[in-house]
Amino acid sequence: MRSRFARHLQWTKRELPREGVPKSARAMLASFGDVAAPAPEEQRAISPEFNGHQYAIFLLHVAAEVEHALMAEYLFAAYTLGGPQVDGKHVDVVRQWQEVILGIAKEEMGHLCSVQNVLRLISGPISFDRDDYPFGAEFYPFSFTLEKLTLDSLAKYVVAEAPLDWSGAEAEEIRKRANESAGSDVNQVATLYHLMIETINNVLLVHDDAFRADTVSMQASWDEWGRGYTHGQRGNETHAAPAATPELIIEVVDSRAAAVDLLQRIAEQGEATDKGGETSHFKRFLNIYRAWSAIAKKDPKFDPSRPVVTNPIVEDSLPEKQARIDASSTATNTITDPTTFYWAHLLNVRYRMLLTGLMHVFHVAGSLASTTKPSARGQLITLIFSEMYKVRALCGLLVTMPVHRGGDPSKHSAGPPFQMPYTLDIPERESDRWRWHRDLLFAARDLLDELAVREKDSPRLAYVLSMRDADTNTMAIIEAMIAKLDKVSAEVTA
Amino acid sequence: MKRELKEIRLLPPLAISRLGSSPEPLNNYDVVVDPKDPLGFRQITSANAQTILVDTSTGEVSDICEGLEVTFKDEEGRVRPVAPFIELWGRFGDDDEWSHLTRDDVDLDQLHWRARLGNVKAFRRTGDVKDRILADSEWFNDHAFREMHGKCDNFLPGKVLPLGHVQFIKPTEQFPHIRFRYTPAEGKVYGSNWFVKKADGSYQPANSADDPTDSGSYLQHDLNIADVVYNSGPDGGKWAGYTESSGSALTIPAQIYAGQSGANGWVSSGYLDDECDGIIEVELRGKQKLSAFSRIGAGPPAYAPDSFPIRTVFDELEQVLLGWQIDDGDYTDEELQHETEEIIRRAFETIRLMNTTVMNGNQVGPQPDIASTMVRQDRGDTERAFEPIMAETIVDNLAVRALHQNIYASLSSGVPPWFISVIRKFDEIGDLSTEGRRKMPAMMRNADGRYLTLTRRQREKIRMASKRLTSTTEKKR
Repeated sequence: MRSRFARHLQWTKRELPREGVPKSARAMLASFGDVAAPAPEEQRAISPEFNGHQYAIFLLHVAAEVEHALMAEYLFAAYTLGGPQVDGKHVDVVRQWQEVILGIAKEEMGHLCSVQNVLRLISGPISFDRDDYPFGAEFYPFSFTLEKLTLDSLAKYVVAEAPLDWSGAEAEEIRKRANESAGSDVNQVATLYHLMIETINNVLLVHDDAFRADTVSMQASWDEWGRGYTHGQRGNETHAAPAATPELIIEVVDSRAAAVDLLQRIAEQGEATDKGGETSHFKRFLNIYRAWSAIAKKDPKFDPSRPVVTNPIVEDSLPEKQARIDASSTATNTITDPTTFYWAHLLNVRYRMLLTGLMHVFHVAGSLASTTKPSARGQLITLIFSEMYKVRALCGLLVTMPVHRGGDPSKHSAGPPFQMPYTLDIPERESDRWRWHRDLLFAARDLLDELAVREKDSPRLAYVLSMRDADTNTMAIIEAMIAKLDKVSAEVTA
Repeated sequence: MKRELKEIRLLPPLAISRLGSSPEPLNNYDVVVDPKDPLGFRQITSANAQTILVDTSTGEVSDICEGLEVTFKDEEGRVRPVAPFIELWGRFGDDDEWSHLTRDDVDLDQLHWRARLGNVKAFRRTGDVKDRILADSEWFNDHAFREMHGKCDNFLPGKVLPLGHVQFIKPTEQFPHIRFRYTPAEGKVYGSNWFVKKADGSYQPANSADDPTDSGSYLQHDLNIADVVYNSGPDGGKWAGYTESSGSALTIPAQIYAGQSGANGWVSSGYLDDECDGIIEVELRGKQKLSAFSRIGAGPPAYAPDSFPIRTVFDELEQVLLGWQIDDGDYTDEELQHETEEIIRRAFETIRLMNTTVMNGNQVGPQPDIASTMVRQDRGDTERAFEPIMAETIVDNLAVRALHQNIYASLSSGVPPWFISVIRKFDEIGDLSTEGRRKMPAMMRNADGRYLTLTRRQREKIRMASKRLTSTTEKKR
């Protein structure tokens, strides 16, 4: 599927051959009203199959996919940190690293929602899709890999978030390590954002009438999504984040200028520009890399991560045979422990519920009439946050569980598979969308029923029962929404 | 020859009773979380709770039972009062364990008790010492069911405010332990006039069609009051008609008494309730006099006994006793996790009792400012713009409750709490920025008039629990 993207991805080539721009594309650039065509040296090559507007949407889809992938990878990496093997003298610093990386993952989530806002603004379809294993390296910074945090994986994150002009001995060393770890050159997210900003800011490519201020009600706002989670310094209890900690960027956009400004702020949060400074993802990852390197020099056995296998996956049925653990970044490791198997499926279902909720919420407007009272959108946001909490808890559980039947999790542990659902499409009718959520909740309940039996003598039983209880309450909310929508539909029909 | 006691104590040092008019006090019960229904209401159970049955006419314990039925009202619909026992504990030497004393440990003739209670709510407003309502049992050592009469210089002749009963429980061979019991009053309202007065001092005209109890078709009989005890005449006090607006010497907020709006503020209707608090004292007058005391209070019944507020007197006392700081090793990981879960459980139990949509400041129908909320208070106190606290779309009560239940559920997985940054700090209660107002607990005010916070110690428990790098389920494995 991703090859459909890859064939249009010329941005990964840093030096674009101007003479290679097809005439059809140049002609397209000049086709907006009476705006004069730019000189050939000012033109950027885009696919002859796109107009400028479609190209901007395409790039936003790529950005959404990249943000989504990074979020999953960072979340996975953060949850591999810790465990009983961490020496007491390092616990505080490792916990700080975990907090920092979880914070970055949260900010990637903000970026993902903000990119959807820009998509809404220019009437593009919403996208929460991303590639599954493997890999799509053509437009990802590096092959999508869920792996435990190591200096190698950290090097990839540093380079992916680095500014384009990052150089020097340290840069060379880390870039070399990252490229070796990735098996190819690590692309920088900054390249994509600079291209996106340039494209959307170009009146020739995206005309003024493409920006639809009336889509604001369909966008994610900080008011609804930020809650109390904005400025980190208020809650910077561990001093894990720098003094001027970053914000969660979720912003409604109503014009070209607002969209460009938003994308610039996202780019700055990633790279270490003057504005981003110490708060950038790049700097924060780099600081961890430096601190880890310093500790490892004194203590070569230092390993702050649990022995989580790379790219854990779960199949529909429990395999009878189990393969050996494969540590390479392109491998997948199938979970064969029967109890972990159900927990991993539960994680996948909850992850799908989270993504489906996100798809849905961008299709529900907060009309002027409904913004003064609780709304369907509000209910969806609550549902999404609830699923985030569950995903968080399930990540925490899975990294402590065996990957293989009878295995020892202190040697090889499972992790959250984050396998993409077969579809993220949602039904057309609003009440059917809620039925969609209900179906997923039923699937989760079946898994929880199974786990209630399997975990009856385990301390994890409390979580199974609590989650099942919480789902019952969520089901009541969903049923009420369906009944309400059906009633409205019946009245309209009558 | 009895051994000589070294020290005595009355335990618990603070007992809270609850008003009720039934002659049968509430049976003892525990409140537990049902592991099969972890998000449901707490269960009331008497399975392991001992109820001490007392024959008030003799003062003797008639039986001590477990598993009695727990009903909060009797068959006639009267609320059963919570009537606590105060126990006499002691030790004979510095190295001894404290023990609940029995009649074998003490010469009962040498044991003397005194109860002093007060209701000074009117005095707190008027500042007139004659408005203090005080009851004193004087010293006694018999076992009579002794009525506590609240007396006040501004009461009508012969009138008292009933503040409950005290009784020194008679130890017997079968039940030899030494106990004292306070049974609170019935929970009635007393007044200054049988008829309803308007804020300007004139009487409310009767509407006999609406009020069949109207006296003489002239004045509206005040159905709220059980008796007129307060003298509001020219030679009496000023409680009825007392008026206040606001000011630094007043409570925050001011005007928290029954009344009606008048030209200069809120005008008191002259009501008095039979709540009170006070001290129980004991003296052992042997060779050497030993003494101890305990505090009691009488408050309204618990109408939601299966839910606990997010912050309680227990939390305050724990902080007073142990301080706000927690050192490594004070609690195990499991205990800190449990404490955090308990705080979140109390959060959604509190939400269950709130109208979150209204308390957020949402518009209800055409009305933008429908109730006394923090939103209104922020505007009234500081002239902040009237603005709902959270986004109006996300405060549906069931949704907010579900969200907190999901946090609770996630914590039960054993993962460390992750939300310390959104828990309001004690010095952020006046932060009226958008972010500051959205901190947790949200939408509620504390006794200081600003946003409610957890106690510092409660918050510290969550912070300490957040420091872990392991799951509690992992450690148990």
